[in-house]
Amino acid sequence: MSVESPSSVRKVVVHLRATGDAPILKQSKFKIAGTDKFAKVIDFLRRQLHRETLFVYVNSAFSPNPDELVIDLFNNFGFDGKLVVNYACSMAWG
Amino acid sequence: MDFQVAVEDIIPWDGTLSVSDFSLSARTFSDKWKRFNPSFPSWLWIPCPNHHLVSSHKEEGYLSLENMCHIQSNEEEETNISLAWKEESNILLQSGEPFDDATLVCPQHEVNHYDFHIVYSPSYRVPVLYFRSYHSDGQLLQLNEIEKDLAGHYAKLRSESKWTFITHEEHPYLNRPWYKLHPCGTSDWMKLLFHGDPSLNKNGSVVEQYLVSWFSVIGQVVGLKLPMEMLNTVASNNSYTLIHTFPKVK
Repeated sequence: MSVESPSSVRKVVVHLRATGDAPILKQSKFKIAGTDKFAKVIDFLRRQLHRETLFVYVNSAFSPNPDELVIDLFNNFGFDGKLVVNYACSMAWG
Repeated sequence: MDFQVAVEDIIPWDGTLSVSDFSLSARTFSDKWKRFNPSFPSWLWIPCPNHHLVSSHKEEGYLSLENMCHIQSNEEEETNISLAWKEESNILLQSGEPFDDATLVCPQHEVNHYDFHIVYSPSYRVPVLYFRSYHSDGQLLQLNEIEKDLAGHYAKLRSESKWTFITHEEHPYLNRPWYKLHPCGTSDWMKLLFHGDPSLNKNGSVVEQYLVSWFSVIGQVVGLKLPMEMLNTVASNNSYTLIHTFPKVK
């Protein structure tokens, strides 16, 4: 395998969707390198929302491990060319 | 019967499970774990006959995953703790030579043993993760030692997210003190996980998938990861029903 140039790094469109009383982001879709870990998405959300307590999940069915690569999640759970990530700021139990 | 189905459609699901749903879901979970996670030991269903004479549930019991070994290695801690989980037999194979009790334990490869149980809580009507840990000599670990094992991202997760915390309580079946992840928030975040997909409620797939979804959250706290394929079966059912419920306009 040859050395990958930055342009060959597969980008993934992540759509961040608020649930419950979580604030909606001004920009809800953004691109992230597929080689990044899911932890980066969680950290991004934390910074944007200024909240430490976040509950992040995919496809309404599970919460991805922060160690998973974004490209793996996209390949398995992507839909319509994007990976939908739901987030909630815990309220009822916070 | 029709009336009951209609009522279930109207009343939003509260994120809880009945005891018989729990045993059904537990079976699905352990089957999938065995299929997609063959390198790990299996979760076994331990039946527990109810001592109370009146309400005897034949299906009562809990899931058990015992003798997982956590290797304390100074180099790769913090990076990926799920790699640090090994089945005991793998360790014996790796070490190559018979273990001599008389030698000093090398601090770089100190092995702690962990037992995990998934027990149904009748008061919260959700599954609860119980666990305990002991050194090779059988001495139980204290909570601060366990926290050291589960360091890295998971410690951060535990302290920052307030959806669970560790308590020390009596194991409902073994009557000995075990640690558990408190279930007070479980039904709330389980409701969130299945939120926005009413189609799941009807065909009983929530019940079946409940434990897989639940473990995707709880497993992170103790560093046990679900294989992507195991989660994929949850999601594929999901997107299948979504396609059929909301056909594309264009």
